[in-house]
Amino acid sequence: MIAALNGAVDDISKAMKLHRVWIALAHEDIGDQHRRTTLGPLWLLVNYVAFVGTFVFVFQPAGKDAAGYAAYVAIGLLVWFYLMEVMSMSVSLFQREESFIEGTTLPLFVYVMRLALQSAIRAGYAIAGCVVILLLSGPAVTSSWLWSGAGLLLILLVTPAMITVFAFLGAFFPDSQFIVGNLLRVGMFFTPVFWVYNGQGGVQEYAYHWNPFTYFLEIVRLPIMDGELPVHAFTVTIIISLATWAMALLLLGRYRKQVIFII
Amino acid sequence: MVSIKLDNVSLVYKLHEKLTLSAPDRRVAGPGGRIEGSGRKQFVQALDGVSFELKAGDRLGLVGPNGAGKTTLLKVLYGIYEPSAGTVAIEGKVDALFNINIGFRREATGRRNIVLRGLISGWTEAEIEEKMEDIIAFSELGDFIDLPFKAYSQGMAARLAFSAATALDPEILLMDEWIGAGDASFQDKAKRRMDELAEKAGIIVLASHSEALIQSVCTKKMTLRSGRIESFTTEPRTRAGKPASSNPFSGIG
Repeated sequence: MIAALNGAVDDISKAMKLHRVWIALAHEDIGDQHRRTTLGPLWLLVNYVAFVGTFVFVFQPAGKDAAGYAAYVAIGLLVWFYLMEVMSMSVSLFQREESFIEGTTLPLFVYVMRLALQSAIRAGYAIAGCVVILLLSGPAVTSSWLWSGAGLLLILLVTPAMITVFAFLGAFFPDSQFIVGNLLRVGMFFTPVFWVYNGQGGVQEYAYHWNPFTYFLEIVRLPIMDGELPVHAFTVTIIISLATWAMALLLLGRYRKQVIFII
Repeated sequence: MVSIKLDNVSLVYKLHEKLTLSAPDRRVAGPGGRIEGSGRKQFVQALDGVSFELKAGDRLGLVGPNGAGKTTLLKVLYGIYEPSAGTVAIEGKVDALFNINIGFRREATGRRNIVLRGLISGWTEAEIEEKMEDIIAFSELGDFIDLPFKAYSQGMAARLAFSAATALDPEILLMDEWIGAGDASFQDKAKRRMDELAEKAGIIVLASHSEALIQSVCTKKMTLRSGRIESFTTEPRTRAGKPASSNPFSGIG
């Protein structure tokens, strides 16, 4: 266990020293994805705004509940799309990086950070759109918005651990690429991304309380929507984050040298 | 002092049966070698008790049939595979050319790819900047250097890869046989650079199926079979500054 942790820390520290590599590659990734398009990476912003607009148009409740729904959906989709992209891209990470893994001595965590930064850059465009929607849709700007910033920071901090765990899952269990993809598509309906939980019973009650993604959404959304610090959501998210990091370190330490033999 | 010393190095890895919902299969990945054991306890013996020593100026040719362990041994020397047993002691700055496409991005220009290749190899930005024009000049890509890599022929890609890999004067250069790409004049030029590198007291390890190439370039030859050393001989080079054939690289890669 200690040896595994030391191995993981060694891999991570080497990757951090090679930060110029993953920063350069992540920027190249974003550039390649939008090369020769008129809007370039601004398409990320357009896609996000189009999604939010569609959800608000279709699902906006009537009456007084309509107030704030655009902000509710804008934050929900921002966090959900980010988590969905991170997880779905992670399960095939080592397979995509096969030629690099088999041809260079780069630490595995370089590939993890390359994807983490790429996802953060893509989310940056959605955040710009989200801020505009929030300012237009009415929630008062208060100091509690800073808690939302802290929530986003927490999600960013757990991202490399999530990527590591899902990358190992995909390497050892290739079918997981499709299973995770399908679960995430379905998972959107079991997560309070666009539906609002008001204490009603039934499936939504279970989906709200027992779905870990709920808490990742709420640490960003509640400080803006309710103007208060969601202590319970932060506590649950921090516990999940620590557990994910522990699992990531063990996997990285124990299996990083085996990955090359199984991809 | 540049040197390589391997003592009783073995590489064994478990044949992981991936968890899958489909019918089980063997899905062997990674290096070649012998499959041993049965049932769920199968493992691959990719290298078995490999010991040798190289010193400054040596040029070792690795030969053997497909799956003998040539590329595996190169990757152990580079540090990609961690040996299961034995010790690897390497003194000197190592660079490797296994696959010309590694580290190159199709959409980026040749110039940008030199930067990326340099970063991956651990160069500083100053080193990349300093060597940039030399690399471009040696690769003979001219104006193509500012075109996307995907516009390059295999030969142009190989020229860029070789120029970049050898630009920072690696003390130990590991090469798999990819260099057949490129025209004869560049191959001669590449060989001259390898000569210079070895004469500067470096070490070259080259895996190849071509006897002509091994005899022309190398001073030692190791024959591998099923992960074991079958023979290790000192090769009298077939020429003094002249290749064994008019083009020792022909038909390779």
